[in-house]
Amino acid sequence: MAYTSAYLDPALYDVIYGRGADGKPVRAALDDVAFYVDLARRQGNPVLEVACGTGRVLLPTLEAGIEIHGIDLEDGMLERLRAKAQARDLHPKVFRGDMRDFTLPARYRLATIPFRSFLHMESTEDQIRALRCIREHLEPGGVLALNVFYPSVDFMAANDGVRKLTIQTTHPDTGLPVEVYDTSRYQRAQQRLSVERLVLVTNPGGAPASMIEYGFTLRWIYRFEMELLLRAAGFSRFDFHGGFTGDPLTSDREEMVVMARRD
Amino acid sequence: MSASLPSPYEAPDLYDLALEGFQDDFGFWLDESRRAAPAPGRPGRVLEVSCGTGRILLRLRANGIDAEGVDLSAPMLSRLEAKAKARGLAVHVYRADMRDFTTEQRYHRVFIPFNGFAHCETVEDQLRCLQCCREHLEPGGALVVDMSYPGHEYWLDVRTERILEAESPHSESGGTTRMYDTRTKDRVAQLQHSIIEIEELDERGKPTRSHRFETRQRWVYRYELELLFRLAGFSRWEILGGWDRRPLETDAGQMVGFAWKAG
Repeated sequence: MAYTSAYLDPALYDVIYGRGADGKPVRAALDDVAFYVDLARRQGNPVLEVACGTGRVLLPTLEAGIEIHGIDLEDGMLERLRAKAQARDLHPKVFRGDMRDFTLPARYRLATIPFRSFLHMESTEDQIRALRCIREHLEPGGVLALNVFYPSVDFMAANDGVRKLTIQTTHPDTGLPVEVYDTSRYQRAQQRLSVERLVLVTNPGGAPASMIEYGFTLRWIYRFEMELLLRAAGFSRFDFHGGFTGDPLTSDREEMVVMARRD
Repeated sequence: MSASLPSPYEAPDLYDLALEGFQDDFGFWLDESRRAAPAPGRPGRVLEVSCGTGRILLRLRANGIDAEGVDLSAPMLSRLEAKAKARGLAVHVYRADMRDFTTEQRYHRVFIPFNGFAHCETVEDQLRCLQCCREHLEPGGALVVDMSYPGHEYWLDVRTERILEAESPHSESGGTTRMYDTRTKDRVAQLQHSIIEIEELDERGKPTRSHRFETRQRWVYRYELELLFRLAGFSRWEILGGWDRRPLETDAGQMVGFAWKAG
């Protein structure tokens, strides 16, 4: 089976970006739920999650008693979020919307864009439009928090054009292995990453594995470029961290965690 | 940041021994100066920011270009003026900081060649410099910034030993001058710290004198440069990939950024 986007199979999305058999996130970049929930607690209600998808972060935040709204471009992802919420007796307010151009009536203390979704903005214009639109939805003193991968030179050198096993997990229904193979290509001067992905889902009873293919592109961002985007969107105060522990960003192997405040 | 060694600009004679022979970029600057003409038969005025000892500026003057210069270093400008006198060239230069200079003229082109812009180490420095350049442009005029691109191969080169950067015949001794660079790089801060050694060798290749300097350079990526132009108030911009005006398609060469002031 082949898709044009990762988001056209929300159930599969949850399998590969879910928790492994050990209960831990399958990637360090996904170990972000506690960070975003703690931030929401400190920063206060209500919270807006941009690109909330199937609710990987949004639902635990709701469960923590925090008022959080979500937007996402993909109806299918939101449907799955609502179904998961119903099963957990939660009542989320989520809306279909484009992060570059949405209008919600509420103003927020905190807006978040977890798990690199801001990298779906593939042009400077899109990036600035999204940041401006989100800023307009913040109260004065409100905070935007997002995380993206840092463009690591060594990682690119090791992965460019090579098919790699990037995620190994187990299917929650069958307990059988699911493997994700990615072929990443880097257009370095254009800051564009194109990934061709193959997902192998082991089937029960020795049946042949299901093969699912799709691709996606991301536009990566450097640290000062991010600062300039925030300035261009009207933010005047910002902090950059490496990873979710509050440490400064010092290495290009770390996740770039960005906080910006609306004056 | 206090450097323990002097800046290479404290020794303009040695700087010239190592770099005066570099000519690869001159054709581009001459061509761009001619394009500065606001109308046929009306030559344009050019300002070179970080003109140093006049490697480019004096050759522009020798070609009849109406060009002036700005540089922070009094020793570099003294040498420029001495060279101008020896060549019978009239040239007007200002000793000033590229972030905050004032000249009497407005120009059709402002140039920052040869990584001069890398001396702006912070976003504030960069914006102040670009805004100051913009103020000195005629409406419809262009700022042209030439930088080495901080590409993959550059960052992957983590050699800690000195690297031969330039070698040229020593005009006085009949020997050779070699310029070495020992680099420390910070990928996230986009900074290079350099220990520069200039060695004078006699005609048999035996080192006779060695001089050590220290400098720093702050690299810029392409979308980052576009954002800087935008935030500095330019109305449009274009990023090219070399002095032959090729598009910027790889990260392995030059970045030549053009930014126009609204006409």
